[in-house]
Amino acid sequence: MLITALNGLAAAATLFLLASGLTVIFGATRIVNFAHGSLYMLGAYLGWSILARLPHTPWGFALGAVATMAALALFGALLEIGLLRRIYRAPELFQLLATFGVVLMVQDVVQHLWGPAELSLPRPPWLRGFVLLGGARYPRFDLIVIAVFPVLLGALWLGFTRTRWGVLVRAATQDRDMLAALGVDQRLLFTSVFALGAALAGLAGILALPDGSADLTMDLSAVTDAFVVVVVGGLGSLSGAALASLLLGMLQSFGVLWLPRASLVLAFAAMAMVLALRPNGLLGRPLAGRGVGEVVAFIRPAPRALRLAGWFALGAAACAPLILGPYALSVLMEMLIAMLFAASLHLMMGPGGMPSFGHAAWFGIGAYAAALAVHALAAPLPLALPAAVLLAAFAAAAFGWFVVRLSGVYLAMLTLAFAQICWAIAFQWGDVTGGDNGILGVWPGLGVRGFYWLVLALCAGGTLLLRRVLAAPFGHALRASRDSSLRAEAIGLDTGRLRLAAFTLAGAAAGLAGGLYAFAEGSVFPTYISLQRSVDALLMVLLGGVQTISGPILGAFAYTGLYDTLLSLTDYWRFVLGAMIIVLVLAFPQGLAGVRLPGAAR
Amino acid sequence: MLTVEALDVFYGRAQALHGIGFEVRAGQVLVLLGRNGAGKSTTMKALIGLLRPAAGRVVFAGRDLTGAAPHRIARAGIGYVPEERRIFPELTVAENLAVGRQKPRDGLEPWTPARLYALFPNLGAMPERLGARMSGGEQQMLAIARSMMGNPQLILLDEPSEGLAPLIVEQMAQAILALKAEGVTVLLAEQNLHFAQALADVAVVIEGGSIVWQGSMAALRADAAARARYLAV
Repeated sequence: MLITALNGLAAAATLFLLASGLTVIFGATRIVNFAHGSLYMLGAYLGWSILARLPHTPWGFALGAVATMAALALFGALLEIGLLRRIYRAPELFQLLATFGVVLMVQDVVQHLWGPAELSLPRPPWLRGFVLLGGARYPRFDLIVIAVFPVLLGALWLGFTRTRWGVLVRAATQDRDMLAALGVDQRLLFTSVFALGAALAGLAGILALPDGSADLTMDLSAVTDAFVVVVVGGLGSLSGAALASLLLGMLQSFGVLWLPRASLVLAFAAMAMVLALRPNGLLGRPLAGRGVGEVVAFIRPAPRALRLAGWFALGAAACAPLILGPYALSVLMEMLIAMLFAASLHLMMGPGGMPSFGHAAWFGIGAYAAALAVHALAAPLPLALPAAVLLAAFAAAAFGWFVVRLSGVYLAMLTLAFAQICWAIAFQWGDVTGGDNGILGVWPGLGVRGFYWLVLALCAGGTLLLRRVLAAPFGHALRASRDSSLRAEAIGLDTGRLRLAAFTLAGAAAGLAGGLYAFAEGSVFPTYISLQRSVDALLMVLLGGVQTISGPILGAFAYTGLYDTLLSLTDYWRFVLGAMIIVLVLAFPQGLAGVRLPGAAR
Repeated sequence: MLTVEALDVFYGRAQALHGIGFEVRAGQVLVLLGRNGAGKSTTMKALIGLLRPAAGRVVFAGRDLTGAAPHRIARAGIGYVPEERRIFPELTVAENLAVGRQKPRDGLEPWTPARLYALFPNLGAMPERLGARMSGGEQQMLAIARSMMGNPQLILLDEPSEGLAPLIVEQMAQAILALKAEGVTVLLAEQNLHFAQALADVAVVIEGGSIVWQGSMAALRADAAARARYLAV
């Protein structure tokens, strides 16, 4: 019992180290720093290299930790000056995307510098030491980690309440313009806050080394954990983050004891419960709404020329199997599925006004539902596909019930966390999902041509249906609730139900895309739910332009083509893709909604 | 001390100020008068740099500050007290004052919390009170005191009497006169002619974003026709 509680405290300390940096950065700059996990990963790798050159003593470790924090602070400051400073006024989705570009670039850089293998520390005697507690042996290093928690919390509290710097940062979180009008240069302030957050992430990274190792997946798992903690605690609230870290750390530690398989589900259930009772987190305050209105989607009937072009493209696609070989057909199918997937995300974030950073969840649920129906129930395709749609719709409705009332940032972070949890389930629940090996042999039982026509009919039909829905009164009501939910409610619209309906519909369409994809590939893997796939969909929508309904369609084709080219050209495709995302965001900081792409007619 | 020349300001495509120009002399109190929506607050925001003028010039103490960032303008010696007061709600009175603190200025006795508490005794009685828990009048006093912590030579006061009880308005007028006596130049925006008359040396009347009348306060007092035309509600 004592040991479990101590384990919970150690887990809480680790969570707090991560979350404190994230929440401090958000509080001051209002940026959700997706790259926080990358800073943590850099801390672990850099720390590993630094510690290797220092004596393996406690003092050597402490010195290494300080050096790592300093290096990360410098890196964070450069990142703030080079990138974040330029996008403070951009829509939040663009900020998330830009910092995700950093995630991608850091992944490739780390892999290039340190290689793909896991790195662990040599364990000198002082790290292996144990302490006797109530008859049980407890690792001494874990006690040190636990001690870091109150020390850090106290130091941060003192820094924010007792120093001029802290008072200025708190003033900045409350009213930036007024602070500037009082003569405070915020650029310096924000750079220092970001450097502090990065240093904290670096400390978390180096403290993770003795009990674990540095590996290339730690960035995303860390940032997901940090998001959950920060959302539960309330965005920007330091004490909230501390409380949530304790809660989730304990839940994790005792959860493993009682329900070994369900620790992730427990964390998620706790999060859902907290948000249902307190939509702004335990100690959070409502965020001053920046509104999602920046991402405006105008829906008009397609002009005649575009409609003709559309019908022509559809006709050409229908004739394609008569001309093209199987490989070209499979690429076309991939594009068609991407089109439906992107269109479903567009419905959610454009007209629905609900930014989603985890759209792959519904895609993956659809894919796994179809594959499991085929495998476990021996269902044929005509049964497996509806199962995919229904299950994805059901999951979207259940999850949506908790989140549709939330504001943009919370929604983006929660959808991301949900997708990561789905990914973890697919990855860990080997008995059912096959784990990393996936499920193989999911074939449609149709010829290539027959299946292609099915994909074409369902994807084109589905996309047209989504489009039709937006032009219907439901679509108008949905946009009304996005633009002004108060006014929409005042004229009698039930905005919560409208948003939930859109959320469910988008989930169902993404589920259909996922189910088709499972059959097209003949297999499912956890990567179908990966963050990368969610971001793919976002990029397709943003690339095509959120303001147009044909945007996601064009974006899906353009992006799939670009991506395949990139993969074949370079091993460092993540680096290139990340750099491209950043350039895109810097070039259009107000969102592509302000730009009319020549190809994307309204 | 402050020269404003032909200022044009836009909100998006809508032009809010049309060629506003006036001059504030050192030690004076100049009042910008006008009805709601005339452009008083817009002028103030453009002067402190929260809005960027599309055309025109702002010269303060010999320095061209047109289009400069707000923190540079504030550091040059201009204090700003916005209409909404914009107290930091989760900071205490003392912390709000600390945020405003800037370096002392040559030739002026630097403002300290103690001096400001003497000027506004209500604030001195509640240094640990949170901004969010203060009455409107107390917030107004704090907003003025906070801007004084930057040791400005000129302060922009945007409708300091708005929404306050008559007794508090009277206190506010006394405080502004005390600041004037300390040598601070004041640019005041007001709708309340009675309040303005007690304080101002010079008046500038704006309507629809343009200046329609300017002259001494005494001249405006004598010009019943102008008062009726531009200021009567």
